[in-house]
Amino acid sequence: MKNLINIIILLICSIPEILAQVSPDFTYDQNQVILHVNTNDINNFKVYTGFITEDTLQEAIPILGELTKQKKQLHFEPLVPFTHKQQYTLVYKNIFEHFIIDTTSKNYNSLSVVAVYPSSKTIPANILKWYIKFSHPVNEALIYNHIGFKNNSGNSVNRAILPLENALISDDGKLLTVWIEPGRQKRGLNPNKKLGGVFEIGGSYNLIISKKLKDQIGISMSKDYVHSFQVTEPDRTKPDINSWQVICPKAITSSNLIINCKETLDYGSSLSNLTIIRNGNEIEGSWQLTNKETSLVFTPDQPWKKGDYQILFYPQLEDLAGNNLERLFDQEIHKTAHNKTNPVSYYNTDFSIQ
Amino acid sequence: MKTFLIYILLSSFLLSTGTMVANSSLKTNFKTGDPAITSINSMTFGPEGILFLGDSKSAQIVAIDLSQHPKVDNSKVKVDRLDIVIADMLGTKTDQIQITDMIVNPENQNIYLSVMHSSGKAILFRVENNTLKQVPLNNVSFSKTTLMDPVSEEAKDRRGRKLRKWAVADIKYADGKVLLSGLSNKEFASTFRSIDFPFSKKQKYGSLEIYHAAHGKYETHAPIKTFITTKINGNSHLIAGYTCTPLVVFPMDQIKPGEHNKGRTVAELGSGNSPVDIIEIGSGDTHFLLIANNNRPLMKLDFKDLEAYNGSLTEPVTKKGAAEGVYYVNLPFVNVQQLDKLDESNFLIVQRESNGNLALKTGSNWWIK
Repeated sequence: MKNLINIIILLICSIPEILAQVSPDFTYDQNQVILHVNTNDINNFKVYTGFITEDTLQEAIPILGELTKQKKQLHFEPLVPFTHKQQYTLVYKNIFEHFIIDTTSKNYNSLSVVAVYPSSKTIPANILKWYIKFSHPVNEALIYNHIGFKNNSGNSVNRAILPLENALISDDGKLLTVWIEPGRQKRGLNPNKKLGGVFEIGGSYNLIISKKLKDQIGISMSKDYVHSFQVTEPDRTKPDINSWQVICPKAITSSNLIINCKETLDYGSSLSNLTIIRNGNEIEGSWQLTNKETSLVFTPDQPWKKGDYQILFYPQLEDLAGNNLERLFDQEIHKTAHNKTNPVSYYNTDFSIQ
Repeated sequence: MKTFLIYILLSSFLLSTGTMVANSSLKTNFKTGDPAITSINSMTFGPEGILFLGDSKSAQIVAIDLSQHPKVDNSKVKVDRLDIVIADMLGTKTDQIQITDMIVNPENQNIYLSVMHSSGKAILFRVENNTLKQVPLNNVSFSKTTLMDPVSEEAKDRRGRKLRKWAVADIKYADGKVLLSGLSNKEFASTFRSIDFPFSKKQKYGSLEIYHAAHGKYETHAPIKTFITTKINGNSHLIAGYTCTPLVVFPMDQIKPGEHNKGRTVAELGSGNSPVDIIEIGSGDTHFLLIANNNRPLMKLDFKDLEAYNGSLTEPVTKKGAAEGVYYVNLPFVNVQQLDKLDESNFLIVQRESNGNLALKTGSNWWIK
């Protein structure tokens, strides 16, 4: 009986504390936590990474962000968005609240590879660059660690990719440039002499993008992406625009102008290095690289007019092996070293619209 | 009254110091505001506490006045679990961040770390008593210049976005110039740039072609991964570490815009390796280059050996994994991800230790005595 009385007394004494521990309302999303408390006591509101308790609070470091009082609420905006499936702890005075961010909906489409360039199933052994297009912005932190090549036996190809610290990625975060180790692809260099080129002529390979790769909000791809290809002889000739075939559209139409290039072009350097002019004025329109990157297709914004046109090709336009209109990737030294030559501004092909 | 007088004197001194800084010829065109930094690829300090950072996403070089940070003693700095600490402070996971560079202000020993978060945001931290403090970049005294080639119009896509990306591999300040190396997503070219500082609207801008001519008959427009400027036998030189392992020296007075500049390969740092950072440390008889690598230990190369070596490696090293040229020793520091000089006899590293701990710490100066 005496024990029961003690318990009741203890419970009664604890009521104020229990009331004080009542959790305040709070809401959260990826970009903020809102504490529905009408107080100016802004400094007692903090958010931590992980499951923090009173015992571990001493060692924990609050998340960086901005704390403001808005109307009858306290707002916390983290410096960077909260991470998917990460646990957090809200601490207000001596109250600890835990929450997990789930940024996905049921219909969330995981990160995927939309395309790789070159898309052709056969590529020259001295290929220099690949491009990977993702469905949405990708996490670029150490991204090259998630990309690799395997040969037909399933063995990884060592030193295949140039280990760049800063990812070469487009403004929209979706297109990644991957450099094949140039020291191995370029003849005469130490890595090439000792290890040979990255790919063996006649070999079959897989480009593999690991499913561990995440998008910007921290959600992985659902499966590995695998692109298979065969390796052919190295390409050691410059692209020759004189051998390219121009298929002209008819006047008063907006039909495509097509250039069949006879070889696969580099995705990254081709579309930005050509233009069409008439009487010195650039023709507005859009370029596409189609047919396994062997055809350049131009769609004009306005119907074609009768007359003479020029297609200007800038020297930086490259094939898969890094040979551009002006020089080979494997240029011999004695031909260029210390020889000052006037660089060509552009190369051109003329055509008429009838 | 005495206290009041001291206060007045102290205030006058501080005001005059402040005026002096504001009137610095290097900072006359600085303005206060948001330089709109969207990435930090690489950093270096110039004089007067000016931090230069290469921002490839915004295609700009930004100079920020950080002289207001007080002088500190970081000789015993040690931050364990560095990646976890940063991730916790950002409310994220370690695979969502990347430490892109670490730099020490030689004038006051403050240590700075740049971090990239997967959301694309760049964050700058300063080390304070073995903890990290964010350095806000949205309201700073700064000056900046574009990384875009001002001569030729860059190609744009249909939305007007510049198509060229240029990742800054390394950046240094020397004799009124900001020097940069990097790699474009378009061409494999040894693009090395020299930009006059203070930045001006009429920018004298040099895009230099540099290559090393080692190994047979093919020229190598390889991009420079990391470099320093220094004196070799009394003359200014550039020492460049290439991604395909050679260490190459160029006399600075021969590096001119628009010309091919052929370097002299003085060492091979071993195949399967790429240099991460190069620093120069010590003086006189204890004068060394330290080179951090992604697949080799920290290397120490004596300046006396470098200055005595007049040759140039022209033939490939045939023995697998072997190194040739100027002699160097491997120091017992592996997996060094960042390296900078703390003072004349101490260096600072970010190292992944064998137990998995990522530590920011000093290297023992015993190794460079």
